[in-house]
Amino acid sequence: MKGSKDEVRRLSRALVDLADRIRPCGVCGNFSEDDVCGICANPKRDHTLVCVVEEAFEVGAIERAGHFGGVFHVLGGRLSPLDGIGPEELNIASLLQRITDAADPVREVIVATNASVEGEATAVYLEQRLRPFEVRITRLARGIPVGSDLEYVDGTTIAEAISGRREM
Amino acid sequence: MRLSVLRLRHFRNLGVQDLDVPPEGVAIIGDNAQGKSNLLEAIYYLETFRSFRGARDRQLIAFDEPLFRIAGALESSSGKREVSAAFQAQGKRKKVTVDGAEMDRLTDGLGQLAAVVFSPTDVEMITGGPAERRRFLDIVLSLSDARYLQAIQEYRQSLARRNAALKAGHPSALVRAWDPGLVRAGACVIERRRRWVERMATPFREYHSAVAGGMGASMRYRSSVDVEGASSEEDIVGAFGEALKASHEREVRLGTTVVGPHRDELVLRLDEEGGGLDLREYGSGGQRRTAALALRLVEARTIREVRGQDPVILLDDVFAELDAARSERILHLMEREETGQVILTAPKESDVRVRRDALPRWSIAGGRIEA
Repeated sequence: MKGSKDEVRRLSRALVDLADRIRPCGVCGNFSEDDVCGICANPKRDHTLVCVVEEAFEVGAIERAGHFGGVFHVLGGRLSPLDGIGPEELNIASLLQRITDAADPVREVIVATNASVEGEATAVYLEQRLRPFEVRITRLARGIPVGSDLEYVDGTTIAEAISGRREM
Repeated sequence: MRLSVLRLRHFRNLGVQDLDVPPEGVAIIGDNAQGKSNLLEAIYYLETFRSFRGARDRQLIAFDEPLFRIAGALESSSGKREVSAAFQAQGKRKKVTVDGAEMDRLTDGLGQLAAVVFSPTDVEMITGGPAERRRFLDIVLSLSDARYLQAIQEYRQSLARRNAALKAGHPSALVRAWDPGLVRAGACVIERRRRWVERMATPFREYHSAVAGGMGASMRYRSSVDVEGASSEEDIVGAFGEALKASHEREVRLGTTVVGPHRDELVLRLDEEGGGLDLREYGSGGQRRTAALALRLVEARTIREVRGQDPVILLDDVFAELDAARSERILHLMEREETGQVILTAPKESDVRVRRDALPRWSIAGGRIEA
C-alpha cells in the first residue's frame, strides 16, 4: 500500500491480463499465450528429445540454465495417492500419444521429476509406461551441488553421487 | 554435557522462570501434580522438540497463553551452545533456534542436547506392542545417525503413499511404483537397526544383570523380511524386494503393506537360567521395569559412544516403583558409568540417594521452583 495508486492499478491490470491470456500449451502443457508455446513452435529445438517435468514453472528453471535444446512435457503434478492423484490426473496419456504421433520419432525421454519420494515413484511408473516404445529413457542425475563442500552434503546425496560417478 | 541455564516461558504450569542449573545436577522435591515431570519434559523437549510423554504441542502451552518457549544453555566438550524451541498455537508454528539462528528444518536442530529420560512409563516399552519398541529404536538411532533419520522419514513417506494406493485398490503397476523408494529406505532402516542391536546386545545383558542382581537378558532384532543370509544393505534390498513380491496377493487382500521394518520387532528375553521367557508376555512387574531401565542405559551408552557426549540423566521419580535392592544397584551402576549431570525428581527428600546425597535440592510447588 506504500506504492502509488497508479502502480497498484497497473499491477492489478497485469494480473487480470495474465489470467485472460495465459493457458496451457496444447502440445506440452507449458505456460503459453498461444495454442502452442514458443518452445514447441520453434523448429530449431530438437523435437526428438523430450524432457518430462512435474510443473510448468520447472520449464523456466531448465530454460534459464540454457543447456537444454530439446522440448518439454509438463505432467501437471506427481503421483500422490494420499491426495487422490493418479495417472489419469496427470498428462501421461498425452505424452504417450505425442510419442506415437511424432513426425520425427522421439529418441529420448528425460524423466526430470523431482528427487522426492513422490517424484521418484512417478519416474518409476513413467518408465513402465514408456518401456513398450522404442525410446531411450533417462533420469536426471543426482549428486553434489556445484560449489558445495563435501563435508556439508548429506549422506544420501553422497551415496547417490558415488553410485552415479563417471569416468574421467 | 550439561545444561547450565534453563529459561521457561509458559510451558505447562511452569510460568516464567530462569533457572541456573548446578553443574553436578539437582534433585527436585515436591508433592505430586506440582510440575516435577513437566520440568523434565521441558528439558527433554530441547533434544527432540516433542513431549516424551506423548503430549501434543498445544497441550504444552499454559492455559490462556498464545505460545510456550524453552531455551537452554548447553556446555560440552565441543563448546557452548544455546538451543531454544517455541510453539505458537495460532498457525501451529514451531520454531527452533541454535545459537540464535532459526533452523529451516526441525531435524537440523535435533540432538543438540544429549539427554536420556528414565520414567515410570518406560515399562510400556516392554509391555506394549512392537510399535513401542520400534519407536524406541527410531528415537535412539535418529539422534545418533543422520542417515537413519533420513531413511526412516523417506520410508514412512513411501509407506503411507503405497498403503493409500493399496487401500484405494489401484492397479498393481501403480502400487509397485513406490517399491524402489520403499525398499531402498527400508533396507537402510533394517540394516542399521540390526547392526545397533547386535552391538548393544552384550551391554544390554550386562546392564540387565547388574540391575537384576545376576539375571541377564537378551535383545534380538527380528525382521519381517528374511534377512538371515543378508550381510550387507545391498543384500537386504534384494531380500526386501523379494518379500514384497511374495506378499503381493496378501497385501492386496488386506489393503496394506505387510512386510518391512514397520512390522519388525525387538525381542527381549530373559536368559536361559530365567527360562528364556519373552519379557513382554511373561515378565513380572519387576523384571519388566529392569528391562526398561537396561534399554535406557544402552540409550545413554549410544550417546556416549556415537555422539561422544556424557548425556544429562533425567530421572523422573524412577525409584518409586523399584524395590530397595534394585534401586541401590541402579545407583551404583550410574556412579560406575561416570554419568554427567543428573537431574532427578522425587516426592520426598528421603527418596534421594544419588551421589550420596550430594546433589543440591530444589523444591517445587504449583510450578514455582525454589532453589
